[in-house]
Amino acid sequence: MNDTVKFSVKDLDLYYGNFQALKKINMEIHKGKITAFIGPSGCGKSTFLKTINRMNDLIEGVKITGSITMDGVDIYKDMDAIQLRTRVGMVFQQPNPFPMSIYDNVAYGPRIHGIKKKSVLDEIVERSLKQAAIWEEVKDKLKKSALAVSGGQQQRICIARTLAIEPEVILMDEPTSALDPISTLKIEDLATELKQHYSIIIVTHNMQQAGRISDKTAFFLTGEVVEYGDTEQIFNKPRNKKTEDYITGRFG
Amino acid sequence: MEKSNWNKRKWSDGVLKGLIYLSTALTVAILAIIIGFILYKGIPGVNFNFLVRDWDSRTTFVNINKQAGEASTNPKYVASLGITLEDKDNAVYIKEIDSNSPVRNALNMKEQLYELKESDIITKVDKENTDGMTADEVAAFLTENSDAVIRLKVIRPGGGIKQMLISTIYIIILTLVIAGPIGISSAIYLNEYARPGRVLRLIRFAIQNLAGIPSIIYGLFGMLVFVQLAKMQYSILAGALTLSIMLLPTIISATEEALKEIPKVYRESSFGLGATKLQTIRRIILPGALPGILVAMILGIGRIVGESAALIWTAGTVAQIPISLVGGEAAAATLTTKMYWLIKETGDLSAASSIAVVLLILIIALNVASKLITRLFLRKKGTN
Repeated sequence: MNDTVKFSVKDLDLYYGNFQALKKINMEIHKGKITAFIGPSGCGKSTFLKTINRMNDLIEGVKITGSITMDGVDIYKDMDAIQLRTRVGMVFQQPNPFPMSIYDNVAYGPRIHGIKKKSVLDEIVERSLKQAAIWEEVKDKLKKSALAVSGGQQQRICIARTLAIEPEVILMDEPTSALDPISTLKIEDLATELKQHYSIIIVTHNMQQAGRISDKTAFFLTGEVVEYGDTEQIFNKPRNKKTEDYITGRFG
Repeated sequence: MEKSNWNKRKWSDGVLKGLIYLSTALTVAILAIIIGFILYKGIPGVNFNFLVRDWDSRTTFVNINKQAGEASTNPKYVASLGITLEDKDNAVYIKEIDSNSPVRNALNMKEQLYELKESDIITKVDKENTDGMTADEVAAFLTENSDAVIRLKVIRPGGGIKQMLISTIYIIILTLVIAGPIGISSAIYLNEYARPGRVLRLIRFAIQNLAGIPSIIYGLFGMLVFVQLAKMQYSILAGALTLSIMLLPTIISATEEALKEIPKVYRESSFGLGATKLQTIRRIILPGALPGILVAMILGIGRIVGESAALIWTAGTVAQIPISLVGGEAAAATLTTKMYWLIKETGDLSAASSIAVVLLILIIALNVASKLITRLFLRKKGTN
């Protein structure tokens, strides 16, 4: 098996009740790269993202067939969902820090997993906030409520919160769509930094963003992967007409 | 277009508006009359003594060692006992007690300390009945007496609601301790675990109906099952259990409302970090729902305080402070059940009204408390 492959998705179908949201997805997602999912609203990219950390398990009436393996292990059949989520973290579209202090937000993950010693937690919190490029801005107000900072800062705190559990993969579901352009750029820079240590999958509505930061891009349409390949190739020499139409803005 | 019916419209508008205003005035007036009447009848009887005295009056014989006291010009003062007497309603009572008065060390017939208090009525000195004597006469009689130890027959007046106040508090605590955890856990199950479907709808339907059952039916149930079947007799435990069942629907729905307020994304983020459902509930959901749960508890207290039918048949109407949970010594009247007893057994509407005044004040205080808590936590949420 290819050493650079993190996830291997085979014939993945997903049904919400009778509606088929994902159709026969096949792809390999690589380690240490930023993979972007693009496509118009409702095309299934967020749904697919959520299959990777089994967040769809929380929704009633969802049925999944096919398989996803991480490092060769089937994440549905041979892994516990809780365990999976400590290795695959997620950042959501709306910044949603918990209604507690910045410190407690970032320490939430480690505390859940049994880390109680203050010195250890202090170190984890500092390291995660530094990795999320927000340590300098909040180091003097760690005990303040996380809801009292700006949207862009809140999102970076959420990223720090995810980093605190030391995952291997970070899933980002339209992480900048609710933020201003400057915060957006900060987070894009952050993602580019982070790919040195993590595999990142980002769902985005913003094609330019995908073009700016991702190494590989998958174009989704009505639950199917229309085209998947190196970002360079998708944007400059798309093989599928529909891809080209989307990229050039003819629809979407 | 013809616009000629302006006068007609103006007139009918006016009449309807008048009716609306009248209805509101009527409602407010009725409320004012009710409260006004209760206050009028009841306030004269509400004072400090009313709140702290026992319900039943108590007659005791006590022995007091006289002291060598300083005489005074006051004919009502008894130097050897250090007390000042006074007349009221054909009875002679103790108006003032010196700080070093020997009556503070009076002993009853079992040689136990029975400290005499102000307002105690003296009805017998040694072998002499003092009925019909004035305070001056009793004081003189006591002063003339030359024995070292004197025996008095003393009546401690009752008519106070001390036992009912304490019993009410006991029942509140007991009921909340039982209904609280069960109600909150049920709400958590319904909101966080239960799957939508026929079973869930059945459960909700059952809860809704439970909320609508008249309280006297709960009283009947409580009497059959707790008092008789479980042999608890009239007891605060029987009362508390019955009230708990009554309160459950309220606590469950209020808690559920509070749980629903918590944004779904908090749960998602928590799961996304690898937390289990219970961890999420314990760390994020319950703390966030706490204000709502608190308000539910306070409203629950309001209902407990106001409940009568269910308690009459499970906790009884005896004015005593319960010293056990079940059995004869556990029966206890609350403010409401004593009111019922007063009206039914004695027709003493003034005393009943006085209790009613205390109840009204309690209920208003509880409502204010719940509003304050709601506002306090809304403000906290706002600054976030």
